[in-house]
Formats: sequence, structure tokens, C-alpha cells
Amino acid sequence: MKIDTRKFGTIEIDSNKILTMPECLPGFPGFTRFALLEDPKSAPFCWFQSTEDPSLALVIMSPFLFKPDYRFNLDNVINARNWSGVKEENLIIYVVVNISEREEKKNSITANLLGPLVINSENNEAVQVVLSDTNYSHQHNVLDGA
Amino acid sequence: MLVLTRRAEEKIKIGENTVVSILEVDGGTVKIGIDAPKEVTILRMEVVEQIQKQNIESSKRDVATINSAAELLKKRFSGE
Repeated sequence: MKIDTRKFGTIEIDSNKILTMPECLPGFPGFTRFALLEDPKSAPFCWFQSTEDPSLALVIMSPFLFKPDYRFNLDNVINARNWSGVKEENLIIYVVVNISEREEKKNSITANLLGPLVINSENNEAVQVVLSDTNYSHQHNVLDGA
Repeated sequence: MLVLTRRAEEKIKIGENTVVSILEVDGGTVKIGIDAPKEVTILRMEVVEQIQKQNIESSKRDVATINSAAELLKKRFSGE
């Protein structure tokens, strides 16, 4: 299927790879369908692109590249979403990345470790989890661990 | 918004399964206990707002900014 994106124009996406977010993304109510766009030029970042709003695309990356010991309670996520029986290796974790505008010259790259995105590759559902009772930062300095 | 005045050790029942208890009032701080079914998500509002804000900011970045940040990160990862 074809989807419109503001950043990349109209692109072709395998419709089997469309992800649904029944609970939407915090900050963007009403949008439930997304696609993961990868581009060698922007790796290790990739784009979490809405298929419904061309201008909605978040920058995400694997947290394990800069924080190998990143952990949170996946059982809570599995129970809350009714994903019982899912294999843990089929839950793919990303975090939302920001390049600080103010400090752009210093290339400050932060990742939100408080709100990981969990993609269930068995049913193509995704959820952004809000972690409580953790010391992780919503603006973790990615370059610190790199 | 419904506004109720409660004292320490008093409670509020919401629906069938949720009870909010005022445990302690000390100056400007109120300690609250919440009994709710485990499928009900209870979050500090400021955490939710931080996540919303990070999402909204992230969606504003243009491809050139991200690609140059990716270059920087790749250099760091490869130890250059």
C-alpha cells in the first residue's frame, strides 16, 4: 500500500507491516496506524511514521545501543495489552529520540527512557508504555553511553 | 470538575472498584492511597506530560538534522 509522508513523499509499504496502536501515542490522540521506516542514512535512528497523518513521524532507536542494561517490567505490558503467550524475543523495544534544538550546535541527542515503545511482532500491535517507579530519565543523554 | 473536601484518613469511592484514601496531610503535601483493579493505569500526571512533550518535539525534527546526528552517533559507536 502507498502512504503519504511529509519527510519522504509517497512511499510503498508492505501492508503486513502496518502497526496498530490501540491506545494511540501520548500527545497524538486519534492516530492508530504506523509504519517503521528505516533509512541507512539515518541509522541507527528510524522513523515511526503515522500512515494517517503524513506530518506525524517520531524519531526512534533501540535503547540497547547506548544502554545495554535497560530493563523494565514487560509482564505488566503483556498483561495490560492481553498479549499472554507472546515470546519475549518477539517484543521489540524502541525509545523516542530528540535532538535538542537549543543545543543543536552541540548535537545533544536525548532518548526518553520513561516512555519505551514496545512492538509485538507477533500481532503487529504497538504500545508506548509509561514507566512509573523508575529512575530513568525522559531526557537520557545518548552520547554519554556511546 | 467535582470538588470534595476530605480530611486525613477519609476516603472517596469511585465506581465499583476504586477507593482513594487521604492518608496524611502535611503542609503542602498530601499522601494518597489508591486501591484500584490492576488493569487501571495510575500515573503521575507530570510523567505523562513529559512523554507527550518528548513525542511532540521528536516529530518536529527534519531529516537533515537526524541524518547529521546519526553520523555523529555512528562515529562515537565506532570509537572515532
